[in-house]
Amino acid sequence: MYTRRGFYSTAIFVIVYLAQLMIIDQVHWPLGGFSVFLIFTLSWCALSTPEVGAIVGFFAGLFLDLAPSANGPVGQWALILAAIGFGLAFLRYGDDSLRNSPLSLVVFVASAVVVALTLYILFNALLGNEVGKLSQLLRTVIGNGLWTLAIAPFILPIASRLHRAIFEIHEFK
Amino acid sequence: MRYGGDNRSRLLLVTLIVTSLFLITLDLRGVSLVTGLRHGTQIVLGPIQRAASSAFNPVGNFFSEIAHIGRTRAELKNLEAQNSQLRSTLIDRKNVESQIKQLKSVLNLAGTGGYKIVSAKVISQGTSVSFTQSITIDIGANAHLTRDMTVLCGDGLVGVVKEVYPSTALVMLETDPSFHIGVRIAGSQEIGILSGQGTDRAILQLLDSQTTVKVGDVLLALGSEGGKPFVPGVPVGTVTSVPNSAGSVSQIAEVQYFTDLHTLGIVAVVVSPPITDPRDALVPPKPVPTPVPTVTIYVTPTPVPFLAPTPTFTTKK
Repeated sequence: MYTRRGFYSTAIFVIVYLAQLMIIDQVHWPLGGFSVFLIFTLSWCALSTPEVGAIVGFFAGLFLDLAPSANGPVGQWALILAAIGFGLAFLRYGDDSLRNSPLSLVVFVASAVVVALTLYILFNALLGNEVGKLSQLLRTVIGNGLWTLAIAPFILPIASRLHRAIFEIHEFK
Repeated sequence: MRYGGDNRSRLLLVTLIVTSLFLITLDLRGVSLVTGLRHGTQIVLGPIQRAASSAFNPVGNFFSEIAHIGRTRAELKNLEAQNSQLRSTLIDRKNVESQIKQLKSVLNLAGTGGYKIVSAKVISQGTSVSFTQSITIDIGANAHLTRDMTVLCGDGLVGVVKEVYPSTALVMLETDPSFHIGVRIAGSQEIGILSGQGTDRAILQLLDSQTTVKVGDVLLALGSEGGKPFVPGVPVGTVTSVPNSAGSVSQIAEVQYFTDLHTLGIVAVVVSPPITDPRDALVPPKPVPTPVPTVTIYVTPTPVPFLAPTPTFTTKK
């Protein structure tokens, strides 16, 4: 059962990753653009148990670390997304008031995107890499958050259906 | 009730974090297995990116135009007047024409500077999550590219080759915050260091505090030994403002790049530096103001008709 779930989940994430690479990255988006892969990953984590959230975050992070345009060391995104995936699932999984509220899930995911990107910048700064001007970073991080608020309502139902089909744990109404 | 997670889940999280830290350490220590993984990914993804670029390039350009809607409003108004088939044909044609124009322009620049170049097509604009300003081009080690080669376009410098894969290469753009280049001011030959800021503006720091820099000064690449990473004489940008820096150790200035990196389609990689330094030969010509015709109006006064005095009549009583 675990093998089947792992196989299907990996296939879905590879497709989303390729969509990001082939379509989204081809366009010069205003406000710094967005990452469908990151939004999808965090949505998936939010729908999962904390254990699954951490594992999904870790492996999705490795995808981002191995991306051709990644500038940080391999493992940086894995570390951040494993922690955020666990935290997101932990916060959402046990809270009955949040579980069935799509709007709260969108806000949760958008906040998680902002936190993930902020942690990535801080980690880069910690490693001594040049991270650029504060105004530019703020624009990119806030831009990503706003894009997520706009796009997550379209991605979440798809992620929820796929997640339910594979795990049959949560329902997203 | 909140699910707190048991010891097993906490142990799993700690294991994943430790694994990540282990990978980071291995990568920072330059272990070839980890670096090889990233190269392997690019080998697999390079052809996919190239295919996607040819399929989505017109769409990508269309969205880029939307991002600069204020600048292209007039163009959009014209396009609205046409039917949808003509519109898509026009976008395709514009795309090809623009690439030809860029190619001609970069060949012109390379010819004047004496650079031996290989032209390349931009196949990916980079991603927002990496916080780097980079592009991917469709040639790599197969075209004898190596790291640290200068990348140009018709307007001037674009960046430098950062990573080379068999059929693609990653180019760090000049706007990247970690991009630094030695430059000299055309004419005065003063030298300084230009640093990317993540925007279309850069900061120039002159090495000699006694020298002066003024708005409009043109900056050219100083060049590196053996032409790597930078060949000499490539136009980089122009000084747009010089902040009042009384008391500062070195003179600084804000610089605008010559190259519009949002519209890059065709670039060229310099594979061999020029035999002689082109010096100031590549300084772009200053824009010539269009002469405004002076309109002279001659007015000839119209003769006023003579008005005879009105006769007065008197009656004798």
